[in-house]
Order: sequence, then structure tokens, then C-alpha cells
Amino acid sequence: MGRHVVGRVSEVPPGGRRIVDAAGRSIGVFNVKGTFYALRNSCPHQAAPLCLGAIKGMTLPSRPGEYHWGREGEILRCPWHGWEFDITTGRSIFNPHKTRVKAYEVTVESDQAQDEEPDESVETFDVTVEDGFIILHT
Amino acid sequence: MAVATQEVREKTSGHTGIVDCDVHPYPAHADEIRQYLPMPWRDRFGSVGRGFYGNPVHGSRLDSTPPSGGPAGSDPAFMRQQLIDEFGVAYAILLPRTFCNLQPDPDFGTAVAAAFNDWLADTWLSRFNPDGVFKGSITVNIQDPPAAAKEIERWAGHPHFVQVMTDSGARVPLGQRQYYPIYEACARHGFRFAVHPGTDGMGINHQATPGYPTHYIEWHTCLSLAFQAHLVSLLTEGVFERFPELGVTLTEGGVAWLAPLMWRLDTEWKALRSEVPWVTKLPSAYLRDHVRLSSQPLESPDNTRDLLQVLEMMDAKHILMFASDYPHWDFDSPTHAFPKLPADLHERIFAINARQWYGLPAPGTDGASMPETLDPDRR
Ligand code: FES
Repeated sequence: MGRHVVGRVSEVPPGGRRIVDAAGRSIGVFNVKGTFYALRNSCPHQAAPLCLGAIKGMTLPSRPGEYHWGREGEILRCPWHGWEFDITTGRSIFNPHKTRVKAYEVTVESDQAQDEEPDESVETFDVTVEDGFIILHT
Repeated sequence: MAVATQEVREKTSGHTGIVDCDVHPYPAHADEIRQYLPMPWRDRFGSVGRGFYGNPVHGSRLDSTPPSGGPAGSDPAFMRQQLIDEFGVAYAILLPRTFCNLQPDPDFGTAVAAAFNDWLADTWLSRFNPDGVFKGSITVNIQDPPAAAKEIERWAGHPHFVQVMTDSGARVPLGQRQYYPIYEACARHGFRFAVHPGTDGMGINHQATPGYPTHYIEWHTCLSLAFQAHLVSLLTEGVFERFPELGVTLTEGGVAWLAPLMWRLDTEWKALRSEVPWVTKLPSAYLRDHVRLSSQPLESPDNTRDLLQVLEMMDAKHILMFASDYPHWDFDSPTHAFPKLPADLHERIFAINARQWYGLPAPGTDGASMPETLDPDRR
């Protein structure tokens, strides 16, 4: 398990993202409404830099002729062919079971130098603590 | 993304560099085109685009917008970085998007086509092209074939134009006789004739479905229908008998439909040959000498064996040429769009077929043996 300091919470505000190199890979770290998620920056389709895609909502499943827009800010659309991925899980919208991008654990911690295994309970650390560190676990 | 260029080059095309048969250069601004338009057309030229059936997600790869500003495909340095160098492209066949043949006024359409040709010749085919990696397509306005033939004459002998192009949007199928001045000019000057999707159902052109589909996904999926109709028309009208030197490049029109369509046409021909007596052999037998398909957007069945069988059935070894469609949203990556192919088939699809078709020397050679019109296997 690698442990990578992505930055301070205040540097990646809700709706924002940061692309980092960690463990030899490019990984996108996203702040979705105050919670951090990380996805590998390579699309499972044709290896586009997925994490550069637009962060959107999506048209939810609906009856013919009806449109329901939802999940605003939780959907990443690939910059090439536009496949949609759930930022919170890495699963694609069109085939969540088979088509997915690797997701990584992210925690927010008060001390960037912490060496021991992070306590799971800190994952939802209150982000209003501005000086918290975003830690990516690979 | 971090793979070294040399490694990519070897992975994609042996050591010769790939030929990408569908690349789209754009002017940074409509004024770049406008400056070539005489009055009264200069004032009438609006924006660069077609304004109908727009992609609801995005029309070009989001990462293809140049850092220098301007639209996707408008910065040659960035295109070189993202396409030519990234994938080891030896030649990129450029197809500008003019949408000129949706225009009801044939004189305006012809003027727009000529302006784009001037622009391409002055920029991508010369100033931006010290190494000759870019090869161009002469846009013609097919609603005025005699004017189109004159436009072709204007570029005869140009070192970097390799084909004439039109959108697939048309009022009648492309085999019909009003187009023959265009084919005659292509054959005389050694240009291939390329058809590329666009303006189907727009302006004065018919839509190759029963009426207008509702959604972009329908329109875009059904673009291949026009290609099928155009190909059947070219074959049955005897265009290749009339113009034995003519070669037609079907660009971005789909791939997997070809074999079953030819089975169907060949079967029909056995019974109905007497209706078209100038078709002196199985219609499918004209393909190797006269028709090439570019690969993007390659159909991608879940079972890649299915696709390999389709490639075998359609004679991809001889008539399929790789294309990426850079910078458009449905870009096919040279390293990811195809399943693993046998090495010789890979080399033919990614390099040899197109080099022979367009008479392009292998990089590092003087090209003395080019152009090769006919398939070397058959000579
Ligand atoms: S590479 Fe991401 S959708 Fe195709």
C-alpha cells in the first residue's frame, strides 16, 4: 500500500479534481460534494486520459420520452468517446459490472506525515478542517 | 500515454509508420477561410460548421483543444504532438470539413470549396508541412460537377493533394452520370475520390433513412446507409468500367456491412445482370481494384473473434486502411481500436494498403516504385 499526499483539502474544492502521479500511474483525485475519490487516469475503452473528462450529472433511467437529470457532479465522462463513469465507484454507467476503471481509497487526515495504517474512521473527516491533507492510497 | 514514441511506432506499424486516412484540420477562425473568398461570398460565409445533428456530448476529444487556444485540430504543432508523434504516423490524410454541398446555391458552395482548398494548400500542405507528413484532399462541391472538375484541374500536379473529397450527403446516388465530369477529372489527374460522412439530410441533401431520425445516435449510426447506397450505385452504374483508373475511398462509412452487402449484390447480379450489362463480373470483384474503406469508427463486437472473421470476409487485407478521425470524439486509437491482428494483416491495414492506394513512398525510401495502382498480389 502506497500512501501519497495529494495536497490540502482547501486546494481541491468540491467539484474540483487533481491529477497526480502515484505508484507509477496517473490518478485523478476528485472532490465530490466534500468527499474525495480517486480513479485511474486511463479509460478501460481505448486508454484515453479519463480523468480529464467533464464532470457532469446524467440522465437517469426513465420511461421513453421522459428526462430526469440527476447525480450532478458524480459522473465523469470520458474526454474521447464520452463513456460515463460513476466517480464514487469507478463503475461505468452502461455496464457497471464488467466495464469499470480502478478506484483507489482516499482519506483526509490531519497529519501528512502519519506512517501507520490510517484509521478507516477518518475517511469522512470533516472537510471544514481546512488544513487536512488528502491522502491517496494505492 | 507515457509509452515512448519508438515503442509505439513498432507496436503500431513495424518500422514504417502508420498511415492515418482520416484526419481533420480546422482553421483557427472563420476569417482564415474568409480571406480566400471573393465578394460577394466573403460576406456570406458564416461559421465553420454544419449546425444540425450536433453531438449532444462533445464533438471532438476534449483533450484535443490546443493549449494555444483555438478549436481542436487547428494547431499543427499540437496535432503533431498528440497524433503524429504519439503514434508514429508517417502520413496523415487531411480531410477539411467544409459542408459546402449542403448549399442550395451551387456557386456559393463551389466558392467555399475553393477557399478551403486554397487555405489547406497554403497552410497544412506547405507551411506546416516541411516533412510532407500531411497529405490533402481537394474539396469539391458535387452539386455543380463541371465546376468541381475545374477545381480539380486547378490542383493537378500538386505534390501533396492525393485525393478529391465530398460529403456523403447528396441528392442522388454517386454512381449517376451527372457526376462523371468529377470522376473523369480524378482519373485524368491521378486523384482518388473520397466520400466522407456529412451533410446527410442537411440543406438540399436527402437523408438516407425514411425521413429524419430524432436523435444524433440514430443519425450517426445510420450514416453507413448512405455509403452502402453510394457503393451499390457506383458498381451497378458501371462507373469503374467507364473510368478504369478511378479509385473510391469510403472514409468513415463503416466497415462490417461490406461483406454481406456484396453477397447480396452479387446474388442479385446473377439474376439481373441483363439489366446492367456493362457490369461484366461479380460486382464484388471490382472492389480490390477500385474501392478502399477506412477503418474508423471500427465496429467493436464483444467477441473480438467475430470482428476478425468480418475482416477476413471483407478482404480487409487488401481494401481496409486505418483511420483515427482525429480530433473527433469517436477517435480510434492506433494502439487500442483493433484487436490483435496477425503481423502481416496489421502492416497492410496500418500502412501498406494506404501507401499503395495513394502512391506514398515508405518513409526513408525515394518512392521510385510508386505509385502502385493495382494490388501487387495480382500483378
Ligand atoms: S477511451 Fe474512454 S470512452 Fe473511449
